[in-house]
Amino acid sequence: MNEFTIERIKTGIPGLDDLIEGGFPKGDTILVAGKAGTGKSILATQFIYKGATVYDEPGVLVTLEEPPSAIKRNMMRFGMDLKKLEEENMLSLVDLSPARPQPKNLYEYPSFDLSGLEAIIHSHIDRINAKRVVIDTLSILAYKFKSRDILREEFFKICASITKKDTTLLLTSEIPARDTGLGVFDIEAFLASGVIVLYNEKISDTSRSRSIEVLKLRGSKHSSRIHSMRITDEGIRVWPGEISPGS
Amino acid sequence: MVEDEESEEAAEQDPTSSQIEIIFFKSDTCAFCPRAEEVLFETIGDFDSGMFKVNEINVSENPEAAEEYGVFALPTIMIGGVAVTGIPEPEALLKMILGSRMSQSRGAD
Ligand SMILES: Nc1ncnc2c1ncn2[C@@H]1O[C@H](COP(=O)(O)OP(=O)(O)OP(=O)(O)O)[C@@H](O)[C@H]1O
Ligand SMILES: [Mg+2]
Repeated sequence: MNEFTIERIKTGIPGLDDLIEGGFPKGDTILVAGKAGTGKSILATQFIYKGATVYDEPGVLVTLEEPPSAIKRNMMRFGMDLKKLEEENMLSLVDLSPARPQPKNLYEYPSFDLSGLEAIIHSHIDRINAKRVVIDTLSILAYKFKSRDILREEFFKICASITKKDTTLLLTSEIPARDTGLGVFDIEAFLASGVIVLYNEKISDTSRSRSIEVLKLRGSKHSSRIHSMRITDEGIRVWPGEISPGS
Repeated sequence: MVEDEESEEAAEQDPTSSQIEIIFFKSDTCAFCPRAEEVLFETIGDFDSGMFKVNEINVSENPEAAEEYGVFALPTIMIGGVAVTGIPEPEALLKMILGSRMSQSRGAD
């Protein structure tokens, strides 16, 4: 078919790989966008968990929003024991959540880079030899820093440096409630070679329906439909044969 | 004013604890850091040298410190509990130094 085949890694989300020719292109940057509560964090964490437990790929989970204790508690409900993975050095949970003490930034001049964040993430990647990295969520940084041009440039640099050695990077971004774009920056989509959107739309006065759409993916003939997705007792699951009733 | 309380507290302090701690975060790759460092030392150079305790942290060598302090952007200069990111104007540093001095003499927050 193709003169060079793209190496892929399994997502660990049942049903999703069927939509994207078998998995995420290895070493790519994938953006998972969606409004609040659509399942971005669960999907991202499941990607890391399954990577470590099923595909033998150590993962780094950088959390800029939820504290690790909450993430561990939530994932335990799906039978995913993150603490155990940490002990086995298959997972590094990097706590950059607001619950941690952080300096109060009184002044910001447009002459900085994000080499601090980069150094933090790389130290964890190197420590466990990670093949998968999640940053949940990128949107937080947009509230932390004002200089958008710098953020944009620095994100490019960070994504490039993380994926340089074929580590696959998954970023989440929150779509503000009334927004039509893909995130607070409107730039996240350009960073990524793949974009996945999660929905939780009202289908009647009393019910909502979760769904997933693969907007773009490098070198993949992905499904362009919106497919049903559910959060089950075992985590997120996609029904490739089922077209979302909302679409 | 609140002089009584103040002098009592000051008497108990050892001399180094009245120093203002400045932490300068930099990295090997940070292009703006050398200039920020110059501005910092030029600004504090006008003060008594014993007034400050400057701690330089290179996060390329010590990423744990960046994580501990939650410092993502470089250069970052921390004075007291507050920070400035980027190449600072001397006025900003002066305000931070004064602010730190004030909260010190009030016996911290
Ligand atoms: N055990 C569970 N079974 C079914 N649904 C669950 C379960 N645990 C959480 N949920 C649902 O998952 C959603 C939250 O998922 P998640 O935290 O991944 O969302 P998110 O997109 O990251 O949201 P945010 O933007 O607020 O971070 C909620 O709608 C919640 O109802
Ligand atoms: Mg989330």
